[in-house]
Amino acid sequence: MNIKKKLMILMLPLMLLLGVMISNNQPVSAAGQTVSQVQAKKTLVLGTSPDYAPYEFLVNKNGKNKTVGMDIQVAQKLADDLNVKLVVKSMDFDALLVGLETGKVDMVISAMSPTDERSKSVDFSDVYYLGGQSILVNKADAKIYKSKNSFIGKKVGVQTGSLQQTLAKKQIKNAQITGLTKVPDLVLALKSHKIEGIVAETPVATAYASNDPELVRIDGKFDLGADMQGSAIAFPKNSPTLVSAANQSIAQIKKQKLIPQYLKNAGKLMKTNTHNTSMWHYWSYFAKGIGYTLFITIVSIAIGILIGVILAFARISKNKFMHGLAVMYIEFVRGTPLMIQIMFVYFGIGLWINIPALLAGVIAVSLNSAAYVAEIIRSGINAIDPGQTEASRSLGLSQHDTMRYIILPQALKNIWPALGNEFISLIKESSIVSIIGVTDLIYQLKVVQSATYKGVAPIFVAMLIYFVLTFSLSKLLNYIERKMQHA
Amino acid sequence: MLKINQLVKKYDDNLVLNGVSGDVEAGQVIVVIGPSGGGKSTLLRCLNRLEEPTGGQILFEGTDLMTLSEKELDQIRTKMGMVFQNFNLFPNLTVMDNLRLAPQKVKKESAAEATKQAEALLERVGLSEKADAYVNQLSGGQKQRIAIARALAMSPDVLLFDEPTSALDPEMVGEVLKVMQDLAQEGMTMVVVTHEMGFAREVADEVWFMADSQIVEKGTPEELFDHPQEPRTQQFLAQVLAQ
Repeated sequence: MNIKKKLMILMLPLMLLLGVMISNNQPVSAAGQTVSQVQAKKTLVLGTSPDYAPYEFLVNKNGKNKTVGMDIQVAQKLADDLNVKLVVKSMDFDALLVGLETGKVDMVISAMSPTDERSKSVDFSDVYYLGGQSILVNKADAKIYKSKNSFIGKKVGVQTGSLQQTLAKKQIKNAQITGLTKVPDLVLALKSHKIEGIVAETPVATAYASNDPELVRIDGKFDLGADMQGSAIAFPKNSPTLVSAANQSIAQIKKQKLIPQYLKNAGKLMKTNTHNTSMWHYWSYFAKGIGYTLFITIVSIAIGILIGVILAFARISKNKFMHGLAVMYIEFVRGTPLMIQIMFVYFGIGLWINIPALLAGVIAVSLNSAAYVAEIIRSGINAIDPGQTEASRSLGLSQHDTMRYIILPQALKNIWPALGNEFISLIKESSIVSIIGVTDLIYQLKVVQSATYKGVAPIFVAMLIYFVLTFSLSKLLNYIERKMQHA
Repeated sequence: MLKINQLVKKYDDNLVLNGVSGDVEAGQVIVVIGPSGGGKSTLLRCLNRLEEPTGGQILFEGTDLMTLSEKELDQIRTKMGMVFQNFNLFPNLTVMDNLRLAPQKVKKESAAEATKQAEALLERVGLSEKADAYVNQLSGGQKQRIAIARALAMSPDVLLFDEPTSALDPEMVGEVLKVMQDLAQEGMTMVVVTHEMGFAREVADEVWFMADSQIVEKGTPEELFDHPQEPRTQQFLAQVLAQ
């Protein structure tokens, strides 16, 4: 007990130290990225948040998701000019710059304006497109709202971490700002009158207005500073050669007037998307999502049980060091949100070792589940009458055999319902991996939302799928539970 | 066979055994009686080190148990069967497997060997028809008879009984005592902690009276029950026999 407290006290400074180390440790990209580095690895990794048609969005080509849009064509142009292969990585918009700083991606093109604030942590190219800012409103309200000034004291929606968020905050008096990560979610909020308008880039607002008869775009009439106009390419800080290479490509784009061409291409692709918006048409999206969700859940359950058993034994062990370590781990993991753990594994550990998003997701979810499984197993073992151990040991069975043949079988039977609960909640909780771009069910739901401009139908489908998954699992678990019951 | 020398057991500052000594010869039946909290069960549980004695010595067939490693202790325990007040049968196993587990895992007997022996023991305690039953399908008396059979399955040299009838309904006490009596007649060495004075008088070779963390008096049943020497013994017997 005493040693536990000591370890806990010891843990706090350790955590602080770790925090300081990480914040001091300038990421891998501290020296920036150079053209020759990119050319050496023959790939240019683009980070983008593909929920922002016509800048970047997803289309389904032969059953496969493809990120397309004006920005992607800009990126392709740059990759071609550098003579390397373009790799597209999708993430939430507010995770993009972190991804850039931690070396997950080489550049970010995501309708991002080169604000002074952002320029402190990344390098920007010249502006490649001047979009302007609009506000999206419900058609019924189009007469009330004329510009940003109509929204004083009203509820306005913006994408989290976006320039629009700053604009709305600074230029609409007393506005109540709702920040969501995905534009389709904002549109849903707008339609259900949770908010009165969405501040968005003009092309995006135009795209939604032309695809959804219930929505209308109005000119925001914001006062835009030089740094808030248009979109630029972001690179890691101190990457002068990449920036100048990008500027050369952008100069060509401007000279050859490629942007209108890009927008036209994007428009065409958007039409193929909205051509058929029935959910059946998108079954392959959901199927892929189910695949990833099940994969993450099953692998995490397996690893979680394995580590959970080890942790449980460590926690009940007489070895005070092992005990303390297990207690610390369990308390820490249970005391922090899964979402932060996932981001820590992906971005934090990614500073030293670059791990793919799926792996990071599986690691984080497994390690998280292990802590809960450990507690369930420990309580199961503790609940077994000590007389069982005494009887077994009095017969000459070793501690190990006692655990294996007597205690664990009984404990497993007792904790089965609790374990089952953990597995079921794991199916649902694994959805958080979508924030780092793992294409699980939730992620695919958002993809379908962006692709079809339909908000509610995909949510309903995903909800049904989750229910079918958890319900089947709970039936299976009940079946096993009945099998374990003797008379 | 079993020599107890100045055994001490403390829980924190609470002295439960205060220098207890005694000898158990092969084939002897020792019955330990005395008031609750006197240290009887602790003494018994120290004999196979289910409780770790704080001091003193236990010699079993010449081996000092206090010096043994965990592994060596497991070996010794196979020769010291134990029967518990609450039976402690394994509810996750059938009756048959309760009897077969230790012989197979510890003595490495073959399944056929273990089964044959288990069947013989079940017959002996009169419960052959329960071989495939699970523990929760048995009555208390049946459970304790199975527990005795389970201890016997290891062919121990001595059997330790920790209040084997205390958790039983009165009408089931007889069937368990009968099995124990038969064992005693066959020459099994036994140490029995019990409140069954009739059993002590009839079956014991020697009765130990324990109170206040010590053995107050030892003697044959006649000596102890009919002519107790110590006032503490007299007081206890007066109380018990008055009931």
